[in-house]
Amino acid sequence: MSTPLISVHGLCKSFPGVRALHNVRFELLAGEVHAVMGENGAGKSTLMKILAGVYRKDSGDIVYDGVGVDFPSPREAQAAGIGIIHQELQLMNHLTVAQNIFIGREPRKAFGLLLDEDRLNRQAAELLGQLNLAIDPRTTVGGLTVAKQQMVEIAKALSFNSRVLIMDEPTAALNNREIAELFKMIRALKARGVGIVYISHKMDELKQISDRVTVLRDGEYVATVPTAETTIETIIGMMVGRSLSDARLVGAAPAGDIALEVRKLNCGPLVRDVSFTLRKGEILGFAGLMGAGRTEVARAIFGADAVPSGEIRVNNRQVTIRTPAHAVANGIGYLSEDRKRFGLATGMDVESNVVMSNLANYLAMKVMLRKRAIRDTAGRFIRMLNIRTPSASQEVRLLSGGNQQKIVIAKWLDRDCDILFFDEPTRGIDIGAKNEIYRLLRALADQGKAIVMISSELPEVIRMSDRIVVMCEGRITGELSPDEATQERIMQLATQRDTMEGRLTA
Amino acid sequence: MSDPALVKDHKDGIAASGSGAVAALRRRLLGPAALQKLLAFASLVLLLIYFSFASPAFMQTDNMINILQATAVNGVLAIASTFVIITAGIDLSVGTLMTFCAVMAGVFLTYWELPMWTGIVAAILTGALSGALSGAVITKMKVPPFIATLGMMLVLKGLALVVSGSKPIYFSNTENFSMISQDSLLGVLVPDLPIPNAALILIVMAVLASIVLNRTALGRYTFAIGSNEEAVRLSGVNVDRWKIVIYGLGGAICGVAGLLLASRINSAQPALGQGYELDAIAAVVIGGTSLSGGTGTILGTIIGAFIMSVLTNGLRILSVAQEWQFVVTGIIIILAVYADMLRRKRG
Amino acid sequence: MSNKHLSNYLVGAALGAVMAAGLSAGARAEDVYIPLVSKGFQHQFWQAVKLGAEQAAKAANVKITFEGPETEAMVDKQIDMLSAALAKKPQAIGFAALDSKAAIPLLKKADAGKIPVIAFDSGVDSDIPLTTCTTDNLAAAGLAADKMAGLIGDAGEVAVVVHDQTSRTGIDRRDGFLKQIKDKHPNIKIVSVQYGGGDQLKSTEITKSILQANPNIKGIFGANEGSAIGVLNGVKEMKKKIVVIGYDSGKQQKAAINSGEMAGAITQNPIGIGSCTVDAAVKALKGEKLPKVTDTGFYWYDKSNIGDAKIAAVLYD
Repeated sequence: MSTPLISVHGLCKSFPGVRALHNVRFELLAGEVHAVMGENGAGKSTLMKILAGVYRKDSGDIVYDGVGVDFPSPREAQAAGIGIIHQELQLMNHLTVAQNIFIGREPRKAFGLLLDEDRLNRQAAELLGQLNLAIDPRTTVGGLTVAKQQMVEIAKALSFNSRVLIMDEPTAALNNREIAELFKMIRALKARGVGIVYISHKMDELKQISDRVTVLRDGEYVATVPTAETTIETIIGMMVGRSLSDARLVGAAPAGDIALEVRKLNCGPLVRDVSFTLRKGEILGFAGLMGAGRTEVARAIFGADAVPSGEIRVNNRQVTIRTPAHAVANGIGYLSEDRKRFGLATGMDVESNVVMSNLANYLAMKVMLRKRAIRDTAGRFIRMLNIRTPSASQEVRLLSGGNQQKIVIAKWLDRDCDILFFDEPTRGIDIGAKNEIYRLLRALADQGKAIVMISSELPEVIRMSDRIVVMCEGRITGELSPDEATQERIMQLATQRDTMEGRLTA
Repeated sequence: MSDPALVKDHKDGIAASGSGAVAALRRRLLGPAALQKLLAFASLVLLLIYFSFASPAFMQTDNMINILQATAVNGVLAIASTFVIITAGIDLSVGTLMTFCAVMAGVFLTYWELPMWTGIVAAILTGALSGALSGAVITKMKVPPFIATLGMMLVLKGLALVVSGSKPIYFSNTENFSMISQDSLLGVLVPDLPIPNAALILIVMAVLASIVLNRTALGRYTFAIGSNEEAVRLSGVNVDRWKIVIYGLGGAICGVAGLLLASRINSAQPALGQGYELDAIAAVVIGGTSLSGGTGTILGTIIGAFIMSVLTNGLRILSVAQEWQFVVTGIIIILAVYADMLRRKRG
Repeated sequence: MSNKHLSNYLVGAALGAVMAAGLSAGARAEDVYIPLVSKGFQHQFWQAVKLGAEQAAKAANVKITFEGPETEAMVDKQIDMLSAALAKKPQAIGFAALDSKAAIPLLKKADAGKIPVIAFDSGVDSDIPLTTCTTDNLAAAGLAADKMAGLIGDAGEVAVVVHDQTSRTGIDRRDGFLKQIKDKHPNIKIVSVQYGGGDQLKSTEITKSILQANPNIKGIFGANEGSAIGVLNGVKEMKKKIVVIGYDSGKQQKAAINSGEMAGAITQNPIGIGSCTVDAAVKALKGEKLPKVTDTGFYWYDKSNIGDAKIAAVLYD
């Protein structure tokens, strides 16, 4: 093997009260895609941020291109050729593509007084051309899709002639087509000799794109293995420190009465003639590609957007739902895919969040908060859902993604919702916590709740669902029993455009 | 009024590349920002038309000059505020900073008897330093802009009273001082157009500010910081330094406003100034600049400032009871910003 | 699209509001019109001046308007008001200057346009105003000093809370009081002169700190209505028994004098100032000659004479 581009030995980093990295090793070759895996909190991001100069190391050696380095700020790392693309894109939405790429390095004219906008746009166009990106450098970044924005970030990183590119969860917000495009670009960069550090939770992506995998656990180095020769199960085993079963989680009892029946629901281009039934005690999986209309169906039933046409029956009674408040009054709850934006007040404590949407029940004389009752409820859910928090008064932002998700669930359970729509319930949650969420969903179903689970991860849908509904372009293209559901069969239905075959006749 | 920087941009764009430039031109003219300016500009024109019909005394040369005079100070202050607001910051000290600069001009010219132009430059520098100090408090001490500039507002108000001995300073030694604002350079050249210098200075300031905002690195970072400060920092730009420069520039512009004011009333009134920051912010917001940062134009701000002063003047000309003038002005501000919100939601 | 229409409606609605406000006060050109630009309008004192002016206007069958800036610091806003008033081409104008020099260019313009100017409340450094309808504040504050001396036995510590240090009335009342104490009452010591902006709350806090710092103090003079109420509240909150002398009237001051919490106060004649201004303007239009200063008078009032017809007529609520 050639000399590594980056080699890291004995790297340590602590934050007040937390040991983020301890004695970590890492190595990156030129022209290699090296995945870094680990559960949330394993230290992946800290490692990447130290490499990119965002954090300073406490101790240890980083050798870059044969020289020991310790970058005081991103600026130096960038100048040395190490670029990072953060999970949350760091772009200025109001500025154009070219302005974003060259921020801080604008070409000047008139003795350096004025900006040379023409040269700026020309340079950006050149760069985008090299990357085969059909983006007008004058477009305002805020108007681009997330995928395009990501390409802009990559272009920006490469404009520094980067030899190392660190990508933190680059596919989190991309659909399959966009992911394919991203991978094409990564392969092109690889061919140019760029070393790429790739962080992702998605196992199937690793197999497709990476050459080697380094696994971290609890801030420590576990192993580095060649991707092609290692099974996903082995990698997961290294991540969680134990092996996981892939067995289906089946319900304890057969499904009961019909809880929700939807007939000929129409609402905008992404909800077209949708009909399905949902029984008490069952988990109904909603599969499909991103943008297939699954979220829109849930939001339409929940009354979150424009009023849909069609019929919705709850417990065999026709209902009209115009606003989320109507939905909740009918026992329907919706757990949004974006917990931070729609689900939780992350700056507030656990107990406030749990009772947030049900506060009226915790008031004395309609104004005073009944502290004791709130604490009791929070305590009950913390035990019931096994929420790992030091106390009910811990701020939610300090908890892990999995525990945050449980708080959202507690919130809806406290409102006595019997029909629950879970939209991507395990997004951004690490593997250990995912399993816990799965067991929790199954337990809720066993208690008689009717559950719809929208998920883009096919293994998850197949593993969890009693029945699977597949959508494409706003229509339901088929319904599968768990026995007939394979990833191939689902993908086939999920890409089946505008045909009548396999339509559900509820 | 036209924004020369903007016009020039169009030409550059067309010269640079064919269809892309046409699209860019279209965006400029029909995009949301342009629409807001049109909306604001249309409101201004409608106000002018209405007042002209409502009172014959309104559309008179004298009165138009009154309006220009009355807009100058608030307009210049609003330009200063525009820079800071585009960075998603706020500067509550612009009013008292203006006063402090006026008082310092009095000290330089009347007490120290410096030559007029030296005193003027020194007063503007005073403003730049004070603004930069606000910027340093915000960036180095990490005090939020609202609080930092609230503090500066009081500090400067107090200093203005202390330095002046709590009484007005008259520019008795500097006979020409009042000409800065009151005379009409243009009127000498074109007798039919006795536009006071104050208005010319406002226009010159607006053009310069527009160039700085749209054509220089300082302007680029102003927008960038307001759009996503963390991203700018991670791009290796020294955000703290630029913020200090931006607040400093705002302070220098407040210094110009202070000179205009002092020249207008031929004295530095130390107790004046508090409350002027809100008029300036209102003008900026009516002009379509978002308080959450990242967008804004100088042209919009100037239109906003004129809407405020035309409204005030017109209501006075119509002899509307003073109590009701407040009510009407308040409603107009809310409606202007509400209209802007609706437009944003749609866009 | 509907939102775009809505924003158009909003502009329309805004203009509608302006028009409605405008129509309610349309001026008739053929009347004699005299705008009064005052130092303020929210304060009860200025409302009383306005009342006097309106009464006189009604009697003389002329039309007036009355306006002033929100605070007495806003010299430039007052200049804008004066400009707008002149733009309406009035027959005469009344003006209470916030700054004795700042408005001179505009007054010259009025003079050139043969518009008679009547100053009220405070004068300007110019010959242009035909007369100034005002209170002799120096003498009035001197009277307050004499009364203070009488009430505390002509010896001991006193303090003064003034509304501001820049306006003519603030300066005159402070200096009138201080000079009279110095000249005529040598055993009285002024321990503090403070400025509260005429703001009741600020003046209250100032008073409390004066009382804290000077436990032996015997009396405090509040130099305008806001200051006097502030002093009164501060003394009450500190549960002190000292002599409080106020200035002007208003409901609270009158009640305090009736209850004995305030020893007494100087009243100007604000209604008289208002009517004097309009009357002088009307006389000027008829070509009558006017004295340089028209003293509108002041009075001492306390519990004993507050009900007298002469006093009651000049007090306001």
